[in-house]
Amino acid sequence: MIKTAELTKVFRTDEVETTALNKVSLQVDSGEFVAIMGPSGCGKSTLLNILGLLDNPSKGKYYFLEHEVSDYSEKQRARLRKQNIGFVFQNFNLIDELSVFENVELPLIYLGVNSTDRKSRVEEVLEKVKISHRKKHFPLQLSGGQQQRVAVARALVAKPHLILADEPTGNLDSSHGEEIMKMLEELNGTGTTIVMVTHSLRDAEYAQRIVRLFDGQVVTENIKAPV
Amino acid sequence: MIGNYFKTALRNILKHKSYSLINIIGLSIGIACFVLIGLYIADEMSYDRYHEKSDRIYRVVNVYDFDGVGENSASAPFPVAFTLKNEYPGLIKNVVRIFDFQVSRSLVEYKDKSFNEKNLFFADSTFFDIFDYKFVKGDPETALQEANSVVITETAARKYFGDEEPMGKVLRYDDRVNLKVTGLIRDVPLQSHFQFSLVASMSTVRQITRGQLPRTWVWNPCWTYVLLKEGVVPEEIEKDLPNYVNKFFYDAEKENISLYLQPLEDIHLKSKLDYEIEPNNDIGNLYILAVIAFFLLVIAAINFMNLATATSTGRSKEIGIKKVVGAYRKQIIRQFLGESILMSFFAMIVALFLIELALPAFNDFTGKEISLSLLVHPVYMGALLLITLLTGFLSGVYPAFYLSSFKPVQVLKGKVSKGAKSGKSRKVLVVMQFAISIALIISTFIAYDQISYIRNADLGFKNDDIIIVPINRTNIAEGFKEFKNELQNNPDIYSVTAMDDILGKAHNTHEFRPEGYPEDKWNFYPALVVHYDFLKTFDIKVIAGRDYSELHKTDPMKGLLINEAMVRHLGWECPEKALGKKLITIRGDERVIGVTENFNVTSLHQPAGPFALNMKEEDWSIHWFTNFMVVRHIPGKEKEVLAYLEKKWKEREGERPFEYSFLEDELSQLYEGEEKLGSLSLIFAVLIIFIASLGLFGLASFMAEQRTKEIGIRKVLGAQTLSIIKLMSFDFMKLVLIATLISWPLSYIFMDNWLENFAYRTQINLPAFVLAALIALTIAMSITSVKAYFASQTDPVDILKYE
Ligand SMILES: Nc1ncnc2c1ncn2[C@@H]1O[C@H](COP(=O)(O)OP(=O)(O)O)[C@@H](O)[C@H]1O
Ligand SMILES: [Mg+2]
Repeated sequence: MIKTAELTKVFRTDEVETTALNKVSLQVDSGEFVAIMGPSGCGKSTLLNILGLLDNPSKGKYYFLEHEVSDYSEKQRARLRKQNIGFVFQNFNLIDELSVFENVELPLIYLGVNSTDRKSRVEEVLEKVKISHRKKHFPLQLSGGQQQRVAVARALVAKPHLILADEPTGNLDSSHGEEIMKMLEELNGTGTTIVMVTHSLRDAEYAQRIVRLFDGQVVTENIKAPV
Repeated sequence: MIGNYFKTALRNILKHKSYSLINIIGLSIGIACFVLIGLYIADEMSYDRYHEKSDRIYRVVNVYDFDGVGENSASAPFPVAFTLKNEYPGLIKNVVRIFDFQVSRSLVEYKDKSFNEKNLFFADSTFFDIFDYKFVKGDPETALQEANSVVITETAARKYFGDEEPMGKVLRYDDRVNLKVTGLIRDVPLQSHFQFSLVASMSTVRQITRGQLPRTWVWNPCWTYVLLKEGVVPEEIEKDLPNYVNKFFYDAEKENISLYLQPLEDIHLKSKLDYEIEPNNDIGNLYILAVIAFFLLVIAAINFMNLATATSTGRSKEIGIKKVVGAYRKQIIRQFLGESILMSFFAMIVALFLIELALPAFNDFTGKEISLSLLVHPVYMGALLLITLLTGFLSGVYPAFYLSSFKPVQVLKGKVSKGAKSGKSRKVLVVMQFAISIALIISTFIAYDQISYIRNADLGFKNDDIIIVPINRTNIAEGFKEFKNELQNNPDIYSVTAMDDILGKAHNTHEFRPEGYPEDKWNFYPALVVHYDFLKTFDIKVIAGRDYSELHKTDPMKGLLINEAMVRHLGWECPEKALGKKLITIRGDERVIGVTENFNVTSLHQPAGPFALNMKEEDWSIHWFTNFMVVRHIPGKEKEVLAYLEKKWKEREGERPFEYSFLEDELSQLYEGEEKLGSLSLIFAVLIIFIASLGLFGLASFMAEQRTKEIGIRKVLGAQTLSIIKLMSFDFMKLVLIATLISWPLSYIFMDNWLENFAYRTQINLPAFVLAALIALTIAMSITSVKAYFASQTDPVDILKYE
């Protein structure tokens, strides 16, 4: 599903040049659950953003579903992204002006799904993350755990092949964090590929494989047996 | 998708209530003014177009040019109309003359009612063939065929006959002829270059002028209109008009006369000729208003752009997320454009209320009858929608492109520094708003300066304490000498004279052949026909020779006064040398008995030119030229003199209504156009500043919000309120200063240009520039420092805790 070859990302600001990723080569197969770990600032988010087609690498190749996308335009990436990738962020990133239902509905709108289909699919996924009773609420009326469930629902609703999660439990207490991890695990069980950035070894336990990054480079790829 | 846009838009509008309010107020004032000005301009442009054949109707204009002196006459000699028709039968479908005996009022009576009728004209029977007026009763084709016929408007009919049937009723004109009502028409639309209440048949004039219409090619009192055949362009006739002039006009003047055809539709906005039926507007005024309207919208739109980009950090997350879940950039752009268009539609609805509120005052002020129901017309409706859309689009397009360019990665990381990227363009926009505002204030100041300059300008003659009484064809005029002597016995009256036009406002031209000029060289010179004591009444000084005097019996027949400019024009070296020089007329020689100082015989748009004062005492000239009595009273005795004049009037004129005016008022009418434009631009300037201030207020509030943390830290470190205010308003002051520097040269150039319209213009005064800048600075300063003051009053502990 994902294959990178010597992926490099350099950020240039006025004076400083930061190499956030340095020749990262990585492969994630369909159906895998991979955790990415490493100290703060080592390039995890940068990697995830490139994998998620939110950004282009400076150098190197990136094959996503057989497409070589390293120099895709914003529009091409958006098209590929909306059909195949769902995101979950540490800080939830819900739109405060939209209700729970409307937030989850958003990806379907941009996919051009008609409104009756949208309704049933949103209902279904809200059911799955157990938040249906709050669908008319606005994000700020919900607890962190509830917000993250909504975010997961939004990531799922378009039935993507790949879910990218950047420290999904980072802002949650451990019981709510566990709830979210269970959901991801369940999702992986039904065949969705998951790449997750985390600081927590406990969360990483859910993954089948841990990739460790240091200073923009892959240091170990630890293959574990499925739980 | 649209539903989602709409929802987010609405929620955002509600979420940022104060910014939305600022935007909507600003935009709605902008749109309201724009629509008002638009309706005004549309009304002005529609003049005379209600005639079905308006595009084929032309007025015959005469230019008399004698070495730079002469006239551009809107009217032509009697024989022109029908000789033209005969000369160009293939090109001209029809002609009509309109004639008013060159008197501003005539006496019209019905039974015991009598009126000084200002709007009575005589016209050929072709009048209603060329012009379209709505007949309620009577037949347009025949209504003006018979002598003694008159067609009357509904309002006039009510005035004379009340509820009685007007058709067939007989009015008495000037106590000379009867006029039988043969047609009743709806009132003349306001959008006409001339208004009339009664139009009588031209054949009636024959009865007054003893059987025949005047045949002279010199006297040119007829406004003459031609209707071209379909497909004919005026150039086809115009190119042959020199031949026409050559064939018909008198040898002595043909070289100096040219004719041309002026499109009917151009008259109201583009015609500034001598002897216009009514004063016209100037298209330049419309341009100025259009520019102001445009600026109003632009400034309101800038508010929108500034506030939208400034508050964009609040939206950046939304944009980032939408992009992450798959929105294309163009979808985001569409969403934001949709929002600004929605906002502008809100504003449009508010604007409609504002217009409805403002219309009565606006109509009152402009003398129009514009109503909001005009907007129901599909064209106006379309225009309104278009403007709303366009405003929404223009205000939204920059924010839309700016906001949609956010990269999701950066946004989600919180990397978009608070609107910093657009900070520069926002500053540019604020500078633009203030530059426009300041330039407009300066222009308004200078326009007012010029108007007051003109009002107080030395016209070369006295214009206060002078009462004007129209007396043409009254008993008073016929016996003017005795009447004058009687009035002069009143100690409140300083002096009395008469003239054929109002000095300073209008005048005729007289035909002379100056001594030493070739036999066939007749020239037309601007002149007034006056009575004794003219110079005394108007305080015009004699610089050589003497004034008219009753001691010199030949003065009325042979004496002439000229001004200094005339001396120079005729090349007579100095005033003294001009004395005794002959100016030959067809009725005998006149001699220069005195030379006066220069004085302004027309508006100060034109310089004081050569001028002659002529006196006549024969009956015919008394009849034709004693049009206005001039009474100068002792200062402060105005009321007494008016009462006395009315009493005397009654003794001589019976029921004929007594009318009068003050010379000062008559003269200020000349600048009515400028004054109206001045007041209008003052109002709009105030509104523009208001809108710009609203925007500034929004921005300042936003900045204050942004900097709460900074302020908190500064306060913890010991900063005083004043230093915080300084800190926060300094940025804005800088912008206003830059705006000032930009606006100064621009407004200087623009106003210098505008003042070129006047022969007598004030100096562009520097205080206006300084004052305008100070006004803008004060406004900006007060808004920003009030905001800063409140920001600095919050407890730093609260601020820092909150962060
Ligand atoms: N947009 C950017 N501009 C400049 N430097 C950046 C940008 N994004 C990330 N970086 C830098 O790249 C490095 C990696 O960042 P990131 O991927 O966010 O680390 P992590 O997620 O592992 O904490 C850091 O040094 C960070 O400062
Ligand atoms: Mg990170």
